[in-house]
Formats: sequence, C-alpha cells, structure tokens
Amino acid sequence: MVAAVIGAIGFAFPAGYVLWRNITAEADALDLVFSGRIGAPLWRSLKLAVAVSVTAGAIGTGLAWLVARTDIAFARFWYGALAVPLVFPSFIGAAAFIRAMNPGGIANDLLGSFGVDQTPELRGFVGAWLVLSLFTYPYVFMPVAARLRQIPASLEESARLLGDSSATAFRRVVLPQVMPSIGAGMLLVFLYAISDFGAVKLMRYDTLTRAIETNYLARPDVAFALSLVLMGLAAVAVGGEHLFSRSHAVTVDSRAPRLRRTELGRGRFVALLAAASVFALATLAPIVALVDWATAGRFRGVDTGRPLRIDTGDVTEATINTVGVSLATALFAVLAVLPIAILVGRFRSRPGGIAHGIVLASFALPGILIALALRFWTLRTGVVGAWLADTHALLIFAYVVRFGSLAIGVTLIAVRSVPPTVRDAARTLGANRLRRLTSLDLPLMRGGLMAGAGLVLLSTMKELPISLLIAPIGFPTLTTRIFFLFEEAFVTEAGVLALVLVACSFALTWALVLRRSDLT
Amino acid sequence: MVVTAIVSGVTKSTNSRTARALALLAALALVATSCGADDAATLEGPAADIYAGTCADATDTTITVYSGRSEELVGPVFDAFTCETGHAIAPRWGGSTDMALLLGEEGERSAADVFLSRSPGPVGFLEGKGLLAPLDADLLDLVDSSFASDEGTWVGFSGRQRVAVYSTDTVEPGELPASVFDLTGEAWRDRVAIPATNGSFADWFTVLREQFGNDAAATWLNDMVANGARSYPNNRSIVEAAGRGEIDLGLVNHYYNYQEAAALGDSHRAANHGFANNDIGALLMVSAASITSSSNNVEASTQLLTYLLSEPVQQYFTTTTFEYPIAAGVDAIDGLAPLDAAAFGSIDFNSLGGGFEETNAIIEASGILNQ
Repeated sequence: MVAAVIGAIGFAFPAGYVLWRNITAEADALDLVFSGRIGAPLWRSLKLAVAVSVTAGAIGTGLAWLVARTDIAFARFWYGALAVPLVFPSFIGAAAFIRAMNPGGIANDLLGSFGVDQTPELRGFVGAWLVLSLFTYPYVFMPVAARLRQIPASLEESARLLGDSSATAFRRVVLPQVMPSIGAGMLLVFLYAISDFGAVKLMRYDTLTRAIETNYLARPDVAFALSLVLMGLAAVAVGGEHLFSRSHAVTVDSRAPRLRRTELGRGRFVALLAAASVFALATLAPIVALVDWATAGRFRGVDTGRPLRIDTGDVTEATINTVGVSLATALFAVLAVLPIAILVGRFRSRPGGIAHGIVLASFALPGILIALALRFWTLRTGVVGAWLADTHALLIFAYVVRFGSLAIGVTLIAVRSVPPTVRDAARTLGANRLRRLTSLDLPLMRGGLMAGAGLVLLSTMKELPISLLIAPIGFPTLTTRIFFLFEEAFVTEAGVLALVLVACSFALTWALVLRRSDLT
Repeated sequence: MVVTAIVSGVTKSTNSRTARALALLAALALVATSCGADDAATLEGPAADIYAGTCADATDTTITVYSGRSEELVGPVFDAFTCETGHAIAPRWGGSTDMALLLGEEGERSAADVFLSRSPGPVGFLEGKGLLAPLDADLLDLVDSSFASDEGTWVGFSGRQRVAVYSTDTVEPGELPASVFDLTGEAWRDRVAIPATNGSFADWFTVLREQFGNDAAATWLNDMVANGARSYPNNRSIVEAAGRGEIDLGLVNHYYNYQEAAALGDSHRAANHGFANNDIGALLMVSAASITSSSNNVEASTQLLTYLLSEPVQQYFTTTTFEYPIAAGVDAIDGLAPLDAAAFGSIDFNSLGGGFEETNAIIEASGILNQ
C-alpha cells in the first residue's frame, strides 16, 4: 500500500508540473481548445491515434493468435522477430521509410529496375498512420501473445465437447480472455500516437504535438495549456479502457498450461505470408534501409570516401551506457508498478485504481515535458534534489516515469492470473507472506513481469528527449549519438549506430524474455 | 561502475548463462574503453587542425556548456580549447530550443556557464527572461555589431546564409529567382517548399516581419500557400527532397546542401542558389554564444567565447562545416558565395526573442500546416 502510494506520487510529478505551469500562467486551456486555432491539429491527433490503434490492434492480435495458438511454421522465430519494430526510434523509422521510398532511395531504385517509375510519396496522414502502425503493433502483439499462451486448452476443449466448432470455441472462450490484453495494448498505442513527435513531424502531418513544440519558446503558457489538453485526452482514453476491461473479467487456471494449437491446414501458407509481410515491412525494410546508410549506399555504387567520424570506443561507450540504464529501468519499472498492480488486481482498491490511471496517462506526456518537470522539481526540493541532480538515479527515475505505463498493463494481468484458490491453499498450509510471494506469486507471474520489463527495456533503449536533458553530463547513449549524427548528415555513422541499437535490443529481448518463454 | 552493478543485479534474477554472457560483454567493453584512454600530449583528428601544439597542464577549472550545436561539429573545438588552455569542458548536447527551455527551467540555479545556440531565437528567449550575463566589451568588439545582441548578452560565432536549394534536374539556372518575393508568381506554382515549423525559418520570418511589417509578411506567406508552397519539417528534409527531385526549390540555410553533397556524392542532384545580396531571402543568420547569469566561472567562459572567434576556430568552421566565418578576418572557403557584409548591417536580430508569438500566429493562420 505504502509502496503503491509512493510509486503513484513519483508518476504524478510531470502531471503536477503541467498543472502548476497552467495555474501560474495566463493562457486558458479551455479557451484555446475552442479558439479554432488548435481545433484542426487536435482533430488530426485524434483521427491519427484512433486509426493507428485500431490498425495496430488488428495486426497485433492477429499475429499473436497465429504465433501462440496455431501451428504456423517457425512460431518461435516469429515470436521474437515480430516484437522487433519497437526498437526503432520513430524518427529513424519514419526517416528510413521516407529515404527508402523516395527517389534515390533503395526501394525506389529497386522498383525502378522493375519499370515502376514513381513510388508514391509517403507523407501526411497515410505516411504517419503507416509508420506508427507498423512500429507500435508490438504493444498489442507482445501482451496478447503472452496472454494467449497462458490460457489452458482445457477451457477450449470443454467448449468443443459441448458442441462448439473450433472457431466458435475461440470466439466464445479464448477471445473474452484476451480482450483486456488487447484493450490495454491498444490504449498504449493510442497514447503513443497522440504523444509522438518524430514520425508525424517527418511525415509533415500537423498534430497537437507540433503545436506544443512550436509554442514552447514563443508562448510557453500556450504550450503548457496544450499539454494539459493532451493529458485530458489521455485521461479519457485511460478511463475508457478501464470501463472496457472491467466488463471483461479474467478467469484463469494455474500452472504451465497445455496449449491448444489450431491446425491451419492449407491456411498455413497464408499465415506464414501474413507474418512474413509484416516482418518484411516493419523490421526488414527499416533494417535494409539502415544497412544501406551504414554502407553509404556502397552496394548501389554511391561512394564518397569520407573518413568515419566515430570509432569503436564511441560505439562501445554509447552501447554500454544504453544497455546499462535500460536494464536498470526495466527492473525498477516493474518493481515500481507491481505494488500498484497488486492493489488493483487483488484488492480492487480505489486509490490503487487512481494510481493505475496516473501511471497509464503519463505515457501520453511527451518525454521533454517529463524531463523539464524533473529538472523543475529537483532544483526546488533542496537537499534531495541537489543529491539527485545529474545522477544516473535521476535518469532512471525519469525513464521509469516515462515508461512504467508499458509494464503496468501486463503486470496487472499477471497479478490477476494468480488464482486466489491456490494462494488460499498456500496460506492454509502455513506459508507466510514472503514465502507465498517467492514460491507462488512470482513464479506464476514471471511471464507477465518479463513481458512488461521487455516492453520497458525496448522503449528505454530508443528514448531521446529525456536522454538528452536528464542524463548526467558526458553520458552519451546510442540514440543521442544517432540523433546528432543524423542531424549533421553523417548518415553512415548514424546507420552503424542504429544497427547496433537494433542488434542489442533484439539480443536483450531474446535473452531475457523470449528465450525463457515456454514456447513449444 | 553502474553497468557492473546492474549486471550483478541481473545475475540474481536470470539464469547463469545469460548473466555470464552479459558480464562478459560488460567486461570486454570496459577493457575496450579503458584501452582507448591514454593521455596524448597533442591532439589528433579534426581538433589537431585547430591546435597542433602540445597540451597545457590541466587546470582545476571546468566550464559547463549547454550546446545546441552538435558534438560532431563543436566537439573538436572544445578538445582544442581544453588542450590549449587546460580548462576542462563539460558539455551537454541537445537541440537549441530544448536547451533554452532547460535553462529557462533551471533559471538562477543552473549549473551551466555557457549556452551555444544554433540561431538567435533561443538566446533571445533567455535574454528576455534575464538569464544571460552581459558579455565583456572586448569580446563583443570581435564581431560586427550587427552580429551581437544590442544588450550585449550574446555574440554570433558563425554564419549561415538563407538560400534557395534547387533540383538540378528540374530547374534551369536561367529561371532562378532574384528575390523570395518572386516565388509567389505563376512560374513557381506547386514547386516550392519551406520549413514552416523550423526554428531558423521562424527566425528568418521574424526578421522579415520587422523589416516589411506584419501585413506584408503575412501577405507574402499567404500568397506562397496560394501558390502551392508545401511545408517540410526542417532544412535537411528540404535539401534531401530537392536532391531527389521531389520538389523543385526550397528555402533553407546554405550549408545543408554542402553536407548532403559531401555525404551522397553525385547521387545528390541539388545545388544552392543565392538570392540577390540585398534581398531578405539572402539573410545571414548567426549561431550565438552566451554566458548564463548563474555562472560563477565568467572569466574562463569569456575565454572560451573568445576562442570561438579566434582565427583557427573560424577557419575550422568554414572548412569543416561550410559556414561563414564572421570574425578574425577569415575568408569563407572557395565555393561559398562571397558575402557583401554591408548588406547585412541593418538587420536587427534583437526582435527575435519576443517576436515568435506573432510569427507563429501568422504561420498557423496561413494554413500551410494543414496540408
């Protein structure tokens, strides 16, 4: 309880900051919304976020079902590979698509050799929608796949015995069980989409975040009022998801379940094609584009002979920094949200529910606001602040606030999936609280907690604004290096570092999350 | 240190194979980094072009710099300064706007001594908040007075000229415009791009407003939109788009095209076109250096700013980053269009700090963002 309250207060820092700025400023958030000046960007933000979350929800759920519940070929490979798109920072992903598709890019060259002269120019709503959907569907895919693997075959088999067809059994028995996971995943996608700066900017789609960004210096009060609007939007989305998930209660059996895998028959080929196409677009295409940059288009006969601006030392330093803080963030994020999840999931406590909402809504806040908020508070809290300023601890705290929301959904489902009967039995047998936690709860929740940690890990590795503003001086990360190299047109170096980032992310996810999953 | 602690933390929670692999990785990496760090008495790489002598003994002074200009460009200058003077520099790298916001938030409690900005806007913002210290008169005298703040709180240290970048495949040199005001004509319908939300464009547009008045500025932008001008997120994306023939012409800072050409070689199919020297389209924008009012390191900071305006550093800026030198009598490198310095004397950058609100309102009202 105490831990949960402390956790929630930590997560409330940025929101408190935005409120404080609004109270002490002149601009009125409500006036602005109805002034028409931001009506259009606000509407575009909403439209984009809804479209992206629906698309990502469909792709993520479909793929999760294929990978977890069917006899699709290479299931184990897909389970890992389809999570990879999360590692691309959206500015890299969007830039890779733009550069590859447009004239002079690799996709354009390739299509040109087949006689296609003009690839469609990727921009605006379609561009932003495509890129964001492709890079966010794992937010749905990962938790849903994890959940699908927990649902025991017995339920489905009972339904079959009672006369349901395979499809009906899935719809009536399995789908309701994964609905909360789908809802939670889509919520994250929605929040990500309304708070994204990078992709929408490069795709030239004018949203609320652009309005916030251009107003920071010009009219800070307006920027903060708009941030409040963003928070309001997030709160509405969180509330909606809450109502939705409450109407879908989860009942679960314990132990490692036997899985029922649908035999696809002839559909196996189609399934493989579907998984492969998403993989090709969302993972392979950006990687090919990055390799193309990293080799400066050498394979296509573009050669400049310019010496490289980075050496092995630079790469290793940035890699160690990134991996170190990301692992720590993943660990602390799960520790921070676990008490809240237990309060909500086990005791259905109202304060717990509020804390849960605060954690989730924080995900809609742009990283730069969280960074500024933490600067603001550390410089105004005397000794504690002075002691924290410019430390790795503060950086990790900022990351946890930014991404804890990613862990809380799966953690909550993990908490709920521990059957009360088993815990009661353990208590009757005399196991104390600690013993129950270590030998019962944690092993049963492990899959969910690891998935949560994995989501946080992947996102932290690609985080940019907090890394720039809060990291201790002289602490470069992969993304900060990539950002500047990219800014100064050192595309080769940016490509090399981006590939390192992707490789590390994949290796870590594999080692910590996927390899340990009991996928058969 | 942190890494080792984290790795050992992980050891407890994962199985031993993963932990061993991670620990090994970390150990290897630590060895690799420690091997790289030997104390050379002279500099290597780009920094050696600025200072080739032996390094001075380290002093106990450390200057904290928030730099809106990137490590790739300014890093070698800092290395040369540290070698030559012995003063250490602790740089925080970031976007100019982000850094200005951070400094604004930190206020009088900031640990920063020096703030370097890509353009005058962000320093103007801090000047307006009273967070910049007045600079030494000798330092301000190193540049033409038009390249420094009237209040003496910031000084320019390199220049970027506004130019038109054009696709060499789709634009004939003969049809290139002499003035930005020509771009609203029929000849340029649906052919032009501008970076409407970009900081340097906003800076430029603010100066345009100051010179011609709000009405004329708004009319120009509205006519551009009516003529089918498109908005891109920044200078670089416009230069890239011109290089691949996606647009015919765009309004940008001059040096991006040099960088793209250096990076892409012949496959980059775009060139710069300078507007007439007295045209507002050919405005010279400066990157700006300032000292915070919270700095207790003013002397060393002044030394650093003076160093930025010294002959070798000005030479470095023009040869390495293709920028215009603005001090120490250094000439721009061959290939950069010569500047008529007199033409820029009348520009008042001081309006920039407070002028963004109106600029943003005009840009948003023009509808160029709603495409």
